Amino acid sequence: MLELRPILSALWRNKIAALLIAVQLALTLAIVGNSSIIVGDRLDKIARPTGIAVEDIIAVTYYPAEAGTDIVSMARADLDMLRAMPGVIDAVHSNHIPLSGSGSASDFYREPNQQIDDEVANVYHTGPEFLQTLGLKLVEGRNFTPADMETWNPNDRYHPKVTIVTKQFADIMFPEGNALGKFIYGGGDNPIEIIGIVERHLGAWTSWAKAGSVAFYPSFPKFTFGRYLIRTEPGKRDQVFKAIEERLAQLEPNRVIDMQTLSERLNKSYARENLMVKVLSAVIGMLTFIIALGIVGLTFFWINQRRKQIGVRRALGATRTNISRYFLVENCLIAGSGIAIGMAAAQIGNHFMVANYSQPALPLSVMLVCALMLLCVSLVAALVPALRAANISPATATRSV
Amino acid sequence: MLGYYISLALRSLRRTPVLSALMVAAIAVGVGAAMTTLTLNYMMSRNALEHKDDVLYALQLDNWDPHEADDNPSAMPWQVTYKDAISLLRSDIPTHQVAMHRWGGPISLDPSQNSGGEMRPFTAEARVTSRDFFALFDIPFLYGGSWQGDADTSPVQQIVLSESTNNKLFNGENSVGRTVNFSGTPFTVVGVIEHWQPSPKVHDLNNGSFNKSAEIFLPFGLHRSFEIYPWGNTNGWKPEDINSYEDQLGSEYVWIQYWVQLDSDEQRERYREYLTGFIREQKAQGRFPRPLKFGLSKPSEWLQLNEVVDGDDRMLNWLSLAFLLVCLVNAVALLLAKFLRKAAEAGVRRALGASRKAVFSQHLVESGCIGLAGGLIGILLTLAGLALVRQLQMGYLDTVASMDWLMMLSAIGLAILSSLLAGLYPAWRISRTNPSIYLKTQ
Repeated sequence: MLELRPILSALWRNKIAALLIAVQLALTLAIVGNSSIIVGDRLDKIARPTGIAVEDIIAVTYYPAEAGTDIVSMARADLDMLRAMPGVIDAVHSNHIPLSGSGSASDFYREPNQQIDDEVANVYHTGPEFLQTLGLKLVEGRNFTPADMETWNPNDRYHPKVTIVTKQFADIMFPEGNALGKFIYGGGDNPIEIIGIVERHLGAWTSWAKAGSVAFYPSFPKFTFGRYLIRTEPGKRDQVFKAIEERLAQLEPNRVIDMQTLSERLNKSYARENLMVKVLSAVIGMLTFIIALGIVGLTFFWINQRRKQIGVRRALGATRTNISRYFLVENCLIAGSGIAIGMAAAQIGNHFMVANYSQPALPLSVMLVCALMLLCVSLVAALVPALRAANISPATATRSV
Repeated sequence: MLGYYISLALRSLRRTPVLSALMVAAIAVGVGAAMTTLTLNYMMSRNALEHKDDVLYALQLDNWDPHEADDNPSAMPWQVTYKDAISLLRSDIPTHQVAMHRWGGPISLDPSQNSGGEMRPFTAEARVTSRDFFALFDIPFLYGGSWQGDADTSPVQQIVLSESTNNKLFNGENSVGRTVNFSGTPFTVVGVIEHWQPSPKVHDLNNGSFNKSAEIFLPFGLHRSFEIYPWGNTNGWKPEDINSYEDQLGSEYVWIQYWVQLDSDEQRERYREYLTGFIREQKAQGRFPRPLKFGLSKPSEWLQLNEVVDGDDRMLNWLSLAFLLVCLVNAVALLLAKFLRKAAEAGVRRALGASRKAVFSQHLVESGCIGLAGGLIGILLTLAGLALVRQLQMGYLDTVASMDWLMMLSAIGLAILSSLLAGLYPAWRISRTNPSIYLKTQ
C-alpha cells in the first residue's frame, strides 16, 4: 500500500541527498529543542511578578552640590512638594532603586550572636509611604508609623528595632509561617521585630538567586546623596516626569539630579534575558525557514530527475494521489530518521550545556513538541513539489524513451 | 583559466536565479549569525593589558569567614580591606602598585571661572586611586601628570581628568593648574589623560566589565577628609561594630581593588615571601582566620577567573556554529541539485576533452563565487546583528558590539571556506559524470 520497498530502493540510490536532508533536520532539532527551552526559561524569568507598580514609578537620585548639606530637611521639603504635585499618588525616600541591579544586603540569624546558618536578604531604608508608593500589599501586621522612623549617619551603627519583610523571607526565617512578632538578628544581640509581612517584592537584583528575600527598615541614612521613589496616577507618569524635573531644578538649582522611570530600569535589568530570547527566537525562525527551503529545493530537484519514472508510472495506471503520496511518504521516512537522530543529538547537546554553561535541562515533552513541529514543517515543505509531481503528464514518459 | 571559470560560474548563477539566491542567502545568514556571536566573544575575550600580561598581577588576600570560603570561583574575596591596602602600599618590592575603588559625585567648574553659570554641575564617575595607577596601566597623559607623591597618604586636593571630561569642562584646552569643584570642594587639575577605555574593563571587573571607565581620578589620601564610601561593592562576612568612619576604615569589609607590577622572577619571589610574612603577622594579631592563602593573577587569568565571557555567551557561540553547519549542509544539498541539473553540460565538456580536474575546479570556482557573495552579505548581516545587540543590551555592550578589520576579513574568509567545503562533494560528484549517457540523449 505505502510502496515502501520501491521508496527505500530509490532512496538507497540517492543516499547522499537523503542523508543531507536528514542531517539538516537532526541538527535543526538539536538547536531548536535547546533554544526553545532557554527561551522559555528566560521568558519565565522576565514574567515573574515583581510585586511593584512598575509602570507608574519614577526614581530620582540627587547629589547636593555643597558638602555637609542637611539632607534630611532637604528630603522633607522635596517630598512634601512632590506629594502635593498633581498626578502624584505618593512619594518616599529610599536607599536604592528597586529592580535596578544596585542595592545592599545583610545577613540575618534566628538567634542573637549566632555565627553560622545565616540567611541573606536585600535591605531597604525607607519610610511608611513605601507601601503605597511601591504598590506593595501588606498581608500581615502593620505598616511603619512616623514614630518608628530614625535617621542615622553612615558612620553610626544603626540598630533597627522593627522591620517589614516579604512573605518569602518570612517563610525562610520561620518555615512554620508564624514570623509576625518574631525577632531576627543582624549578627549581634540587637533584636529586630518583624512587625509586618508584604506579599511580594522582588528587590534590587533580578538575577540574584535569592531575589524576593527583602527586609525594609523605617530609617533615613544621611549619605552624601539621596533617592526618591514617586508613584504617579496610571498613565500620567511621563507628564509628571517632566514637571518633577523642572520643580526639583527650581527648588535647588545647584544639585545634580538623575531621573529614571522604573520600567526603564527593569528593561535594563532584563536586557540580557531579552537579548537571549530575541536572538534564540530569530535562530529558531531562520533555521526552520532555511530547512523548509532546502527541502523544497531538493524535492523539486528529485522530482525533476525522476520525471520519466513518474511519467511511466502514470502511463502504467498510477493515480495522481499515488504519485503525491509516494513523495510524501519518502519525505516522511527521511524526516523521521533525521528527527530520530536529532532527538539523540538534542539530548547530548543539552547535557553539555547543562554541565558547562548552566543552562536549563531539556524535558522530553518539549523535545517531542519540537520534533512534531519539525515533522510538520518538512511535510508542508514537501507538499508543494509532491503535488506538482502529480501533474507530470504520462506523455513525457513516452516521448524520449 | 580562472577568469574563464568565473565567467562560466556567473553565467550559470544567472541561469538559476532563485536557486542561486537561496544558496547565497543560506550562506549569508549562516555567516551573519556565526560572525555576530564570534565577534561578540572575540571582543569580550580581549585583554587590554596583554602587553603587560607577564608583569601585572591582581592581588587577593583570604581574610574571609573561618566557617566558609567566599562564594566565587577563586574562593577568596575579590577585593582587600582598606587597612591591608594601606599596609601593602608601604612595601617597596613592586615596581608599581595601585590601591583603588570606584566613587563619584557632582562636579562643576569653579564659580570664579563659570562666568554666567552656563555650565550645569553633573555627576562624574570617579576612581579613587594611589598615584601609580597611570604608570601601572600605561595610561598616556595629554597634559600634565599624576599628583604629587604624598597624595597617597595625605589629603591633597588634586584631580586628573579624562579627555572627555576635559572636553566637557574646558573645551579640550590644557586645563592643568585650573580649578574644578568636586562635591563642593575645589580641586586643582594636575593632569588630563588620553582617551582610555579598556574593554573588558580588566582593572575593574566587579563594576560591570563593559561599563565606561572613570571620568575623573582622585588621590587615595582623601578618605578621611571626605569620609568616602565607595560606589563599588563593599562586602563583609561578620557583624562589624561601626561607630565612626575610623571604624569603617579599620573593619574587615573588603572594598579596595589592588594591583601590583612585578618585573622579574626575583621580584615575584620576594613579593610572595613578603605576602606570606604579612599574613603570618596578621594571623598573630588574630586576623586572617582561614588557612594562609593569597592570589596573584595575571590580567589574562583575572579575566578568566571573573567569568567575563559567561555561559550564555559561550553557548551562543556553539549554537551559531551549529547554525552555520546547518546552512552549509543546506548549501551542499542545493549545490548538488544545481550541479546535477546541468550534468549534461558537464558531460559535453568532458566529451570535448576537459579533464575531471578541470570540471572539478570549474564547479569549485562556482561554489567559491557563491561563498564570496554570501560572505559580503554576511558582513552586512553581522553589522545589523551587532547593531541589534547594542540596542537590545541598552548600552551595556556598546564597547564590544562592533567589528574590526580582522573580524571583517574573517567573515569573508569563513564564508569562502565554508562554501568551498560545501562545494567539494557536489563538484567531485559532477566531475565523475559519465559523458556517454548525456551524449546519447542530446
